[in-house]
Amino acid sequence: MQTSTVTDTGRPAVGRDACVPDPSLAVCTRGLAKDYVHPWTLRRTRGLDALDLDVRRGEVLGLLGPNGAGKTTTLKLLTGLLKPTHGRAWLLGEPVERTAARRGLGFLPEQPYFYDYLSGLEYLELAGRLSGLDADAARRRARHWLDRVGLGERPGLRLRKYSKGMLQRLGLAAALVHEPELLILDEPMSGLDPFGRRDVRELIAEQRERGVTVLFSSHILPDVEMLCDRVAILLGGRLTRVATVGELVEGGRQSVEIRCAPGALLELPRAWAGAVTRAERADETVFRLDDEARLPEVLGALLRAGVAVRAVTPQRPTLEELFLAAAEGERARRSA
Amino acid sequence: MNALLIAHNTFREATRDRVVAGMVAAGLALLGVTLVVSPLALGEGSRLLVDLGLTGISVLGLLVVLLTGTSLVAKEVERRTIYNLLSRPIQRPAYLVGKWAGLSAALWAVAVVLGLALWGLVALRGHGAAGPAVLQAVYLAGLELTVVTALAVMFSAISTPVLSALYTLGFFLAGQWSYDLRTFAAKFPPELGAMVSAVAHLVPNLPLFNMRTLAAAGETTTPLHLALATLYAAVYVGCALGLAAAAFESKDFK
Amino acid sequence: MNRPSPAGWRRRAAAAWAVALAFGAAAFALAEVSWRALPHPRPLEELSYYPSGRSLRPATLGHAATAADLAWLRAVQYYGGHRATDNRFERMEHVFDILTTLDPGFRPAYVFGSFALAQEGRDFPAAERLMRKGLAANPASGELAFQLGFLYYVRPGGRDLAQAARWFEQASRQADAPPQSARFAAFARQNGGELLGAYELWGEVERNSPNRLLRELAARERERIREALRSGRHERAMSRLSTPAVLLKAD
Repeated sequence: MQTSTVTDTGRPAVGRDACVPDPSLAVCTRGLAKDYVHPWTLRRTRGLDALDLDVRRGEVLGLLGPNGAGKTTTLKLLTGLLKPTHGRAWLLGEPVERTAARRGLGFLPEQPYFYDYLSGLEYLELAGRLSGLDADAARRRARHWLDRVGLGERPGLRLRKYSKGMLQRLGLAAALVHEPELLILDEPMSGLDPFGRRDVRELIAEQRERGVTVLFSSHILPDVEMLCDRVAILLGGRLTRVATVGELVEGGRQSVEIRCAPGALLELPRAWAGAVTRAERADETVFRLDDEARLPEVLGALLRAGVAVRAVTPQRPTLEELFLAAAEGERARRSA
Repeated sequence: MNALLIAHNTFREATRDRVVAGMVAAGLALLGVTLVVSPLALGEGSRLLVDLGLTGISVLGLLVVLLTGTSLVAKEVERRTIYNLLSRPIQRPAYLVGKWAGLSAALWAVAVVLGLALWGLVALRGHGAAGPAVLQAVYLAGLELTVVTALAVMFSAISTPVLSALYTLGFFLAGQWSYDLRTFAAKFPPELGAMVSAVAHLVPNLPLFNMRTLAAAGETTTPLHLALATLYAAVYVGCALGLAAAAFESKDFK
Repeated sequence: MNRPSPAGWRRRAAAAWAVALAFGAAAFALAEVSWRALPHPRPLEELSYYPSGRSLRPATLGHAATAADLAWLRAVQYYGGHRATDNRFERMEHVFDILTTLDPGFRPAYVFGSFALAQEGRDFPAAERLMRKGLAANPASGELAFQLGFLYYVRPGGRDLAQAARWFEQASRQADAPPQSARFAAFARQNGGELLGAYELWGEVERNSPNRLLRELAARERERIREALRSGRHERAMSRLSTPAVLLKAD
């Protein structure tokens, strides 16, 4: 299932037995799996099950899933922090087990922690140098990115004095200081206020403009809808769906909302029962049609009845609704 | 190169840490106290000064290793600061070598500061001729600390900070008694003797770095001793870090 | 279809193991070389220039007995090392003095130290001082009293039977007296010419000893003394002593 739905070309980008993936891919996994073994009982729990995922260069892919779905496991497998039990993965054409695979990578872990005895500037310089920059370039870029994420006013402030939001911004700067080709971000909006989230969205959009590939996990679905070219949904350690946001929401039924002046149409015709619902608000009456095909009939009836129609708005299902429905479906499947 | 960067950063961490500064202060205070009480030693004041000074370097250095070194890696894993490093193009063994080198450099700095202070005090007491012996003893004490640091890094890579400290201390104490263990091994029944002998060989050969008695008497040691001690420290450190790297390669950072 | 993951990290781990083993073997070899080629540190000498155990005691932070144990181990090796080489024990009294100041109840240290000083170190006064120090710290010790008596009994250059008898008697009055204490006291008195005192001591052995053979021996000695006193030939009750059969051990 996974193989046929995850690639845009309609065929696997690399065969199961091939060693070198398509160079147009920033991330490629084949059968990637991770089992966790309890140290005392030796019981195995599958954290990730046979993931086949391709991420094209330059695209922004959102990784969605409830807690424990395997998002962080996936990201840690890609960044070398976890060893896979089965399968393989490549970053920018290099197998993940090689150090070279991380040369073009910028990673932001979930709830990042840093050396609290360093200042923000010192930490970014260190991050840059460890990612291959020379001393001058590291210093210059550290200064640039510290300013860019809004922490440049106090470059000498020790990290132990940073707030959670400041640490999150610093982590993002550290992921970007060496101008990577691939960004992997685990919950980048975590701990940020709306202004912070806006800034992160802008940063991600900037990187996309520069052609950087971004793979990020998030719980904040509106952000995912706004930023991502495609979304991958993980449930219970398995990849259940990968598609564009448009493809996902188009698959859902569309409803229509008609807002009218208050007190419109005191009695609903019997023919509309089950298809049209009515809600009274303080300053308006709202009619909701489950099926947009009935719009001409209902709108015509309202206008003929002299109702003052204020707005007619198509209601697409949100990503959140689709996601919750998918999660519910998976839960039902598991318990069956 | 990455190992050097991490070493520099670890050195910076150690020297900004109050523990190291506190140990230097304690060492200087110990030298001061020794100077004051040395008249009670009935003419052996210089011996007392040298021996206590050298013992202070070893003991305070050991305290730094136990308080700081044993959590070098374990703390980074617990706090997850290690994610930011290992997700970059750094090899895990290079990370461990950098950690060891950084803390060792900080300990050498402590040993040099206290050693120079000791030398100065000995010279002030009119025993400047003991200077070379004192410096040799400080050098050997520094080597001893680098070996113990390697053990601390190794245990820290595979265990929690508290257990690492216990293991490191255990190896340190057993290492101080390695010569005695070898002597006992020869006197025990063969099976027990073989076990005791194996332990004596596993633990670091720390008496090799002990020339406190000679230095207290103002006597220098042979170039052979210094060369053997240096070489032994290098290979023991290599062994400990190799084991640490082997364990670290397969570690999952959940 | 899941293929097993590649062994990249396993290869690196194996390489690290190989490096560790190679360095370990080198460390092993160097340790052997240094053990054979270099003089061993003499940690006991580190103790030797402390003025006294009293000045050292605070440094043990409440673990004086443990420090004494560790020092004891080294002291035993010091003795063995010097006995096998130069037979020089210049620092021995000082070191045992420190040891027994750290732990005044450490009775084996008094015994071993005294006999080593007397027999090997040829320093009977030092041995005497050490043992008397032990008795001052442990006045109810029958064992130490017995050993002091024995020290006098076998003193190089001439026994002091009066002192030996005195301390054997004291030992026999203590709860932990070695069973032969009274007998030894009797022997010492008898061979020192004190027949009446010896007669009393043998009477004690005859009355109280749980050992039938000893009671019979005591009875025979009392008879000899009576005979000697009756005849006026006291020398018949004395003998050129063979050393009483006792195994001296320092535990």
